[in-house]
Amino acid sequence: MTYELNVAHLYGDLMNTYGDVGNILALNYYAKQMDVKLNVKVVSLDQDFKAADYDLAFFGGGQDFEQVIVSKDIQTKKKELTDFIEDGGPVLAICGGFQLLGHYYVDAKGDKIPGIGALDHYTLSQDNHRFIGDIVIKNADNGETYHGFENHQGRTFLGKGESPLGNVVQGKGNNGEDGTEGAIYKNVYCSYFHGPILTRNGNLAKRLLVAALKRSYPDADFAEQEALPVPATF
Amino acid sequence: MTLRSTVATFAGRSSYWFLHTFMKGGSSLPGKITTKIDPEILKHLGQNYDVIVITGTNGKTLTTALTVRVLNQKYSHILTNPTGSNMEQGIVTTFLRAPKVKGDRPIAVLEVDEANVIKVTQYIKPKAFVFTNIFRDQMDRYGEIYTTYQKIIDGVALAPEATIIANGDAPIFHSKNLPNPIIYYGFKQQDEKDIKAKPNTDGVLCPNCQHILHYRYLTYSNLGKYFCPNCGFERPELKYAITQISNLTPTSSEFEVDGHTMKIEIGGLYNIYNALAAYAVGRFLGVTPEQIDTAFSEDKKVFGRQEVINLDGKQVTLILVKNPVGLNQVLDMIATDSKPFSFVGLLNANYADGIDTSWIWDGNFEKLPALNIPAYITGGERYKDITFRLKVAGVPDDKHAVVPELKDVVEKIKTLPTEHVYVLATYTAVLQLRKLLADQGYIKEGMGA
Repeated sequence: MTYELNVAHLYGDLMNTYGDVGNILALNYYAKQMDVKLNVKVVSLDQDFKAADYDLAFFGGGQDFEQVIVSKDIQTKKKELTDFIEDGGPVLAICGGFQLLGHYYVDAKGDKIPGIGALDHYTLSQDNHRFIGDIVIKNADNGETYHGFENHQGRTFLGKGESPLGNVVQGKGNNGEDGTEGAIYKNVYCSYFHGPILTRNGNLAKRLLVAALKRSYPDADFAEQEALPVPATF
Repeated sequence: MTLRSTVATFAGRSSYWFLHTFMKGGSSLPGKITTKIDPEILKHLGQNYDVIVITGTNGKTLTTALTVRVLNQKYSHILTNPTGSNMEQGIVTTFLRAPKVKGDRPIAVLEVDEANVIKVTQYIKPKAFVFTNIFRDQMDRYGEIYTTYQKIIDGVALAPEATIIANGDAPIFHSKNLPNPIIYYGFKQQDEKDIKAKPNTDGVLCPNCQHILHYRYLTYSNLGKYFCPNCGFERPELKYAITQISNLTPTSSEFEVDGHTMKIEIGGLYNIYNALAAYAVGRFLGVTPEQIDTAFSEDKKVFGRQEVINLDGKQVTLILVKNPVGLNQVLDMIATDSKPFSFVGLLNANYADGIDTSWIWDGNFEKLPALNIPAYITGGERYKDITFRLKVAGVPDDKHAVVPELKDVVEKIKTLPTEHVYVLATYTAVLQLRKLLADQGYIKEGMGA
């Protein structure tokens, strides 16, 4: 293949609920069609994340227990991750990954678990209740509609510089109140969608891959990749 | 017996008789009626039994059935609950249905849903608990593995004298200090290495120091001889162990338990764990290895989960799949078939299947293309999801037929190029397919899987 992208699967051995690994599989599937080889590496506890080593990062959701452990470890990667994000590095963060990129989340027991604050959102919990079910959102800027399945206790509130991934058409979204779902900041895409998000929304997979290609191969022409048709899978 | 219990028992028994005789049913309604009249009825019903509670994510049903067969070798009165009746009402009904017993103290071997363990131990103090495993299961219902285990432990706390017979290869069953006596069973293999579980495996943190566990060997998922290189936490001593695997096919498994050769008429490594659990309960209650071997070999109907149906000459094996670990085990099992076979995947997402289909992405369908399978069919209410799953796994379009309607799937199966066909289906898809096959006279009505 003509192009290669190095993908960091952040805490892939701990943050992997609800088929989130499907996002990696979907990235691979579309990357092949775009003449791109992906080198995926799990970056976990006690391992360095170097911003310069990666072209794309994926951060999935985990269970409460694992997320608390990850919250401690990710502080050691805070600077490099923040640099990567500020430099326009494309990231997809789902559920717990979404929460940990923000300032903090409050877990089911009421404990406040710190994130890295690379994005300006925070997450509260809700008592004995989760938002569970099919969800549909629409992005106001690009007009794309995204389908998924949400399953989360956290209620996330977006901050400065963040726009939602979409506005809720059906379902609950970030917090069940303000009609937003997910977040976009620079090339970071966050969401509560499982399903997984990229297997049901190939257009978003394409968007991430194109962003990574343009950033890592600034002189190449990716018109063909951008024109790749993505048939509906859902 | 209090007057209230007497009335409650009578009402329950009569409703069971009525439902059984006239409605051809009656699994949980009598229990409902009885508990309505006397909420503490289980205390009265269960007090004369030695109760064995079998719980965990996968393997409850077969472990329960095998345990009953094993104990039958030595004990004459054994009560058990039918498949699916593993919540409080179903268990009450089970006791209501039981014939009166004279002589020996009877044993009740009960499959109990994880969250319902406490509803049993509130009233009954079991003699033993069996913990099969805890994996991610349709999490829209229960939550994570630690929450599930806590639910079980909350129930066990009310019976601190009961012996726990647990899968020693599962780290989670070694994560809490409990007052109960504990017996562990597991696999003892020869080749010892230093490896980690695959990245997408659940439950790989050391419960002690939260570092990633390593393994001397893995059987499947996060099961095996684990150890923590950081703090020294390790698998406990096994009392009963699989010492050798001799032969695995999709329909049979030969192995040694503590040096005794045994055979079960079902494939899948996970089913060897189920047999081992039944063996452990048997030994715990004084059944000899020879008797257990006899129990495993004499009644083949017990292995009913994998139903083989003859469909105009096709040998169709219908297998229920409901979570990623179970699914991966089934994929490993069908890979042991020495004959060519076709693959059918049927996906529904009704409540009983789990309304979130995300879990199929945790299944290792990527192994299918390497098996040289000449034909694939995908169908069911969520055929789009399973179809795209196989596409991403690398299943070629020219071998892959998308057939949404099950009635068309039945016709398509008849035209497949292989004699062997494996149908992997979620719960309600199994029910729908069986109904179709029953209507066409290929099988008898009723739930076999």
